[in-house]
Amino acid sequence: MTESRLQQVALVVLRTLVGWHFLYEGYYKAIAPAWSREGVPLGRWSSAGYLKGAAAGPFAGLFHRLADSPWLDKIDLLVMIGLLLVGLSLVLGLFTQAGCVGAMLLLGMFYLSAIPTSGAAQAGAEGAYLIVNKNMIEAAAVLALFAFRTGRIAGLDLLLTRRVAVRTEAVAS
Amino acid sequence: MNLTPEEQELGRRNFLKAVATTPALAALGAAAAARGPVRGGPVRVGYIGLGGQGRVLLGETEPAFAQVRALCDVNPSRLKKADDVMAKVGAPPAKHYDDWKAMLQKEDLEAVVIALPLWMHAEVAAGCMEAGKHVLCEKMMAWDPEGCRRMLETAKKTGRLLEIGYQRNYNPIYQAAYDGIIKQGVLGDVFHARLLWHRNGPWRRKEDPPSPDFDPSRWGYPTFDHLINWRLYWKYSQGLLAELASHQVNVANWFFGATPAAVLGSGGVYRWTNEAREVPDHVYVVFEYPQGRTAVFTSIESNAYDHYYEAYFGTKGSLILRGETEAYLFSEGDEKKATSLEVSAKGAGPVTEASESRVADAAGRAASGSRNQGVDRLLAYRSEVSEFCAAVRVGKPLRCGPEKAMGSALACIAANQAMEKKSRITIA
Repeated sequence: MTESRLQQVALVVLRTLVGWHFLYEGYYKAIAPAWSREGVPLGRWSSAGYLKGAAAGPFAGLFHRLADSPWLDKIDLLVMIGLLLVGLSLVLGLFTQAGCVGAMLLLGMFYLSAIPTSGAAQAGAEGAYLIVNKNMIEAAAVLALFAFRTGRIAGLDLLLTRRVAVRTEAVAS
Repeated sequence: MNLTPEEQELGRRNFLKAVATTPALAALGAAAAARGPVRGGPVRVGYIGLGGQGRVLLGETEPAFAQVRALCDVNPSRLKKADDVMAKVGAPPAKHYDDWKAMLQKEDLEAVVIALPLWMHAEVAAGCMEAGKHVLCEKMMAWDPEGCRRMLETAKKTGRLLEIGYQRNYNPIYQAAYDGIIKQGVLGDVFHARLLWHRNGPWRRKEDPPSPDFDPSRWGYPTFDHLINWRLYWKYSQGLLAELASHQVNVANWFFGATPAAVLGSGGVYRWTNEAREVPDHVYVVFEYPQGRTAVFTSIESNAYDHYYEAYFGTKGSLILRGETEAYLFSEGDEKKATSLEVSAKGAGPVTEASESRVADAAGRAASGSRNQGVDRLLAYRSEVSEFCAAVRVGKPLRCGPEKAMGSALACIAANQAMEKKSRITIA
């Protein structure tokens, strides 16, 4: 490893935070319908809202059609499971590289379905974006995690590589 | 309480100013504890009793909070009307029952809303709780103290939620009045409250039986009139005290932080003597609270001029809560207000004739006009049902609950006894 201690900590913190974000988004969708602790029903989650409401940019038509397609239930399920698996992977540092690829795929899709081309503040968003939005930034952060192979710094991947290493040694001797 | 438009405007402004200074910290406190959502969809509910009040609650039941799966009433025409209410709300139709026990057996319910004649409250509410259902039961709690105690004990024993339908607890005006004025001591020492509910009519419902061969005796009502006009007969009802006073006494208990220690009463059937009715049409009751505080309740069925309000008179100010929609605050020494009180106490005409809202009331329109504070009294019912569902799902505290409801019920039942004997009764 060539990174300094601080660099390592920064990378693992970033991975854990991104992982938590995915994990919670997946968990939230999994438990719905649910109620907030203040007593407000949160209803059942479906990607249809995002696909219909937020979708914008050049591919909006395609995603609008997805929202009305009979596969919507399966899309919902895949997104939910995808978020949970990616979240677990990044938080635990298990199959980290695959988790990073999954994260980038999901974020890429979220980005493509709603590319901010207008530059105006969108309904439901807390700011105004032009081309670059938080999905893209998070994807770029995951790209950095992917490039630095954070699984070899901390996480369950270490156990896997160690076991492989031990086995390789045994074979070598 | 007859106020000129100018006085109403002043009172409204005073009220809003006073309640605006109370910070809404509750929301911040709740947010401080980071806790995720709780799994679960709308609460699965059955309605028992779909007369006027049951249908009001049904109409204010939001589908996101509660899924109404079953409706139960002995009168099929009431069920049909309830179907219409649900269609209006946009809720899918619910199954019909005429027997609440059958409904509990066949339906997978978590909670029931009970809006039956008073005499049935204790039996049905206790039975539902014993069957594991949470209960939102209309006021008054029960017909007699034994019934109240049975309901309270069953709630404790079964660990089920029991809320009694005093919608003022869920009315933002009353909440603001308590938090911003009563609790802050804005009124000074309050020795007297005036609770008043005046109407002009026989209180009799007119309705045809659902079919010529409809036999209500199966359910304990010798004639159809006994079923429809149960409020007028002692066997089923505790009269005006239960149906009207108990609302206002419930608030007085809340605002005074106490329950009456004794009650004096007078009243009788004075006007509707030719009607088939047993409960008084005029009641005058004095509720004695600890520390020299007194609430006087009057309800008459011969004049609707004053309609209904609660007034709290303190050493520093007066608070008037009118028609569940409006609130006025006046400080002592405010000359305008002193004039108005004097005038209304004497019942003088000219001032009130000049008041537009008075005319509106007399014309039978809801007390909420364009000049009010914008509170729809039905919203309180909506909050009541929604918050009850939230209590079932995430344990949101009930705003009234059986203990408080019992305080009001015992006082009103004792008031009827005092009235019957025209004497003073100590409340145990």
